[in-house]
Amino acid sequence: MNPLITGRNLSKSYGSKLALNNVNFEIEQGAPVALVGPNGAGKTTLFSLLCGYIAPSNGELEILGHKPGSAALFNKVSALPQDAQLDPRFNIDKQLAFYAKLQGMSTKQSQTEALRVLDLVGLREIAKNRAGDLSHGMRKRVTIAQALIGSPQIVMLDEATAGLDPIHAREVRELVSTLSSEATFILSSHDLTELERLCSQVLHLDKGVLSEHQTKVNQTDKHFYTLMLNEMYENVEQQLQLLNGVSSVYMSQHKEYVIEYTQSEQALDIALLQFCHQHNWQYRQLVNGHTLENQIFKQEKV
Amino acid sequence: MATPLPINVGRLTQIAGFELVRMFLTKRGLIALAAFALVWLIILRYPIGQAVSIISSPNFEQIARDISGSIGLSKLLDWPEAEFAMYWLIALYSFPVFSLFICSDQTVGDRERGTLRFLSLRSTRFEILFGRFIGQLAVLTCLVAITLVATLAVLGYRDPSLLVGGVGRAVSIFSILIVTFAPFVALMTLINTFARSSRLSIVLAILYFTAGGIVVGLLQWQIPALSVLDYLFPGVQIEQLAGQNLPLLSAVGIPLVQTAVLLAVAQRIFARSSL
Repeated sequence: MNPLITGRNLSKSYGSKLALNNVNFEIEQGAPVALVGPNGAGKTTLFSLLCGYIAPSNGELEILGHKPGSAALFNKVSALPQDAQLDPRFNIDKQLAFYAKLQGMSTKQSQTEALRVLDLVGLREIAKNRAGDLSHGMRKRVTIAQALIGSPQIVMLDEATAGLDPIHAREVRELVSTLSSEATFILSSHDLTELERLCSQVLHLDKGVLSEHQTKVNQTDKHFYTLMLNEMYENVEQQLQLLNGVSSVYMSQHKEYVIEYTQSEQALDIALLQFCHQHNWQYRQLVNGHTLENQIFKQEKV
Repeated sequence: MATPLPINVGRLTQIAGFELVRMFLTKRGLIALAAFALVWLIILRYPIGQAVSIISSPNFEQIARDISGSIGLSKLLDWPEAEFAMYWLIALYSFPVFSLFICSDQTVGDRERGTLRFLSLRSTRFEILFGRFIGQLAVLTCLVAITLVATLAVLGYRDPSLLVGGVGRAVSIFSILIVTFAPFVALMTLINTFARSSRLSIVLAILYFTAGGIVVGLLQWQIPALSVLDYLFPGVQIEQLAGQNLPLLSAVGIPLVQTAVLLAVAQRIFARSSL
């Protein structure tokens, strides 16, 4: 299958500052892709390149076989750029309908489409409000709605849940999860747990350099579990080490342990949970593999 | 980066049409329109409404002819539709200044707010830039048309027999005025591609005409051949045009070429700029 997006030797510099350094990646159709990294890592720069807002200093970028921003991608690629706002002087439905008309819909279709996407983000009732009269969270959801107009193949959301309350952030996550069978989402966020839930491919940017992680499968011969406990108990590492098949245990962070094991016929996860029960350890979560957070921080420490 | 072509006429029309909505259906646009209407009511009531009595006054006529002749306006005094003569002068000098203000926010506000990012995912940069230009020119066209119709009404109220000739005169004035104002709108299109706000756009436009005029004047003083630089300024032909002393080809050609050049430069900058 041809990749949806291909970046080859991609670099972007602002004066002497190198925001992206020789980045290579491919994104294929399917589950959402996460773009993570600390502030100033180059995430928004990469988003801006993908949307055609800026041109690369070097390298090539192709989306569905076209250059970003080209007319062939209209109606196929949509985005929520970070901090972009609708015109505060116009009604929400009027602006969304205008965008729908630019995407080739008739006046009537565009009005229906504006209400449909507002419905998706739970804001149909504010269709007649002006953008300037909405709260920050509502404005954010409306801008997510504009990214869902039509039937895009690729939807890029830069910090979509930043500034949203937990309930609406969860709704956005559910929306992405629901629509991910129809479009490939590319999400950037600082909430690694959120991305871990939604995405299978993670592009990690740091200081303009890109690396990739997989969240859903163990990629190497080594196998891991991550055990999160509710409290700090004594000698957890030493005691877990006694379990059959466990080769090493270390505390990755407060109340969280990474267990490396060799695969055998015996199900270690069941044994682990039984072990917790026997020792009266209250566990919070058992993750099959590394958490995304640990993968990224481990790499940064190296 | 977005390829400027192909142009989609449908999208271009949508973008231009939205400028009319922005002018006539938003609070800010309606306030600007109300201020415009008030000013023009005063203009229609006094200078235009009393054009005949002013011009036909025996004492005034000779003075006016002397003054008008010396600044090349004597042909205007021969127009039977005195209201249009007055309108022509007022519109020719006031609309360019007015257009700098009302066209000061073509793309700059949307760029600073990030709204252009939504648009650029749905239309080419050329369509956005040219569509906004057409939209602003359309707004100006509406305003000129409204004031012309009002002037025609004043003329018809004074002397209905002049109405037929007045319509022809109005059409001719209308066409020349729109072509004359086009480079002013295009200049604001260009300034919008690099300015940071609509206010700064206005300041830069004023500086362009004042400081730019002084610099070009000094250059011409040193090298007379540089008088060709006058054509850098929209409205360079207005003084001659006001007295109807400019051949039609120049009256239309100069502003059209200026408009094309300004838009081409604007597109070049806009296509390469970061959104």
